[in-house]
Amino acid sequence: MKNQTLKFSLIMLIGANLFAQNLDINGYVRSYMGVLTNDNYDYSINQNTLDLKLKRTDDNVSFFANPFIYQYPNQDAHLGLREAYMDVYFDNMDLRIGKQQIIWGKADGMFITDIVSPKDLGEFLLRDFDEIRTGITSLKANYYLGDNTVEMVWIPTFTPTIMPDETSIWSRIPEFPLPITIDESQKEIPARLENSEGFIKFSGMSSLLDYEIMAGTMWDDDPTLHVSPIIELGNPQPLGLMLTPKHHQLTLAGGSFSSELGGFIFRGEGAYYMGKQFSALNPDQMNLPTSLLEKDYVHYLIGTDFSIGTTRFSTQFIQRAILDYDDMIVQEELDNTMTFLANRTFLQETLTLQLFGYVGLNNEDALIRPSLTYDVADGFEILAGANIFIQNDESETTGLFGHYDDNDMVYLKVKYSF
Amino acid sequence: MKLKSILTTIILFSGLTYAQDLTGLEVIQNVYNRPTGNDMTGNLIMTIENSRGNQRVRKIKQYVKTVKGGEKKIMFFLSPADVKNTSFMTWSYDEKGKSDDQWIYLPALKKVKRISSDSKGDYFMGSDFTYDDLGDRHPSDDNHTILREEVIDGKEIIVIESVPKDEEYMYSRTVTWVIKDSWIGLKKEFYDEDDELLKILTVEGQKSFGDVIILTKVKMNNVQRNQFTIMEFSDVQIDTGIPNNKFTERMMKRGI
Repeated sequence: MKNQTLKFSLIMLIGANLFAQNLDINGYVRSYMGVLTNDNYDYSINQNTLDLKLKRTDDNVSFFANPFIYQYPNQDAHLGLREAYMDVYFDNMDLRIGKQQIIWGKADGMFITDIVSPKDLGEFLLRDFDEIRTGITSLKANYYLGDNTVEMVWIPTFTPTIMPDETSIWSRIPEFPLPITIDESQKEIPARLENSEGFIKFSGMSSLLDYEIMAGTMWDDDPTLHVSPIIELGNPQPLGLMLTPKHHQLTLAGGSFSSELGGFIFRGEGAYYMGKQFSALNPDQMNLPTSLLEKDYVHYLIGTDFSIGTTRFSTQFIQRAILDYDDMIVQEELDNTMTFLANRTFLQETLTLQLFGYVGLNNEDALIRPSLTYDVADGFEILAGANIFIQNDESETTGLFGHYDDNDMVYLKVKYSF
Repeated sequence: MKLKSILTTIILFSGLTYAQDLTGLEVIQNVYNRPTGNDMTGNLIMTIENSRGNQRVRKIKQYVKTVKGGEKKIMFFLSPADVKNTSFMTWSYDEKGKSDDQWIYLPALKKVKRISSDSKGDYFMGSDFTYDDLGDRHPSDDNHTILREEVIDGKEIIVIESVPKDEEYMYSRTVTWVIKDSWIGLKKEFYDEDDELLKILTVEGQKSFGDVIILTKVKMNNVQRNQFTIMEFSDVQIDTGIPNNKFTERMMKRGI
């Protein structure tokens, strides 16, 4: 890894010299420490980050690269490339080629039509916005018609969601009544033309309304677990379960809007997903979840942003509904979530107090995220916060947030942007 | 968050009409109704100093264009580094009662968000200017009275008190020093809800572009908090023919 870091540094130096005056270099250095509020006060994270943003723009072309290094005590540094792309600008069209993050939709912190770039869930949903999405190698073309835009994306190679390591406190393997064996042999999608993904979006901006209409054909970023019993010859009782994660194709169409009325911003977003594989209980196999049922589902939200005095508020209601529901499906027919945000600044906007939260309405679980940010100087900030997971002990299932009830933590981030 | 064109505001603080024996309203209308050019670009450096003498500096590039039925503005933040590449866009309308439309592009989100234009009393980027201070407040929103005439540095000055018709307005009154004949605002005092002096705006530099006068340096002093903000403009250009597509989502994301 030392060699890798050295190479990285050399590339940066050579690159900077080559582009000399026209290379725009920005980025940040950050120290991030989190402590679990358990009996041992274990560190949840102890990370140093160098994030560089390099940009050069000529008349009708530009390039951008975002390399980064995560460094952990007593561990090898992790070097990554969040984005690296070229832009070509025409009168009414732009082309972007390379590894890029593509963000769609009007929702905050939810992924409904914002599914072009897969997620990095290595730290659940706690990472900063630009770190929670992974770049994808793709070709993006934007054609402009006044204040309207047609955007087309072609992704030649599928990239799945990055899941936490099995040893991570954020790992979540479903519980089964029998011992499990995991077979990952079918997880990969062969890199060939027929397996590429495609998306199209038409969007517009006007005084009355901002809107997006989109459609796409893609691979499900999250694998479906195919579950089969492990049976010994002559013994009908399964000894265990074989779990085979596999990605399936999905087709979706959706849209989003945003508008202001009387000082309130109203937002909405929804998508219709076709061909999702859902795990289902199999009565012929001791009600083990060995069946798969293909169903369509809808995922949508409504939300509003508003201010009371100098405090900004935002709230969203999100629902996912499985259509033509079958009672044997493991997942509930309706899954309801709410988010809320309150934000206020003090001392000439140098001190920011924020409270953000997700609330799972089905299981009455929640993730509450209070934080306090102080700008010590221009570009230099200290952020202290907490992540509080709440589980309803009386609920039959723990829920997405309640599952991490033992992961309550406080954390500190010191960040210098340059 | 609410943004207004700073350049527009500064221009509206000056005027070039000739008249005598005017009422307070007519004086303020002369300041308000003046040529502003079809479009403008400029660089803004905003220095904010708190009561302990600590300074923070923001650099912004701004484009403004008059369009049919209103005005479009876009601002690109150049520094500090943590807000670099953030952009704001505002579409304002001549139609009385029609609110501005505003959007913000945050590079970390990679998304353009529509934001409310309803918070005119909020301070602009932690400065001592509220969004309303930076806006083009219409003369008919206040009752204007000429208090007196003064001579400052050999210039004849008309001092006008403006009392808002809306009792809920953030200031109980403002007092403006206007240079007679050139109709340039020289100084303005803002009084809080208790009629205590809150802030003083003073002009420290100006530049002529034909019949358009730009105040290139202004200072807002918050006397209650003992802090101030200085706005300095440079590289100001008038009527360069900014294309309409400068004021679009595409440009917000692409940057300068």
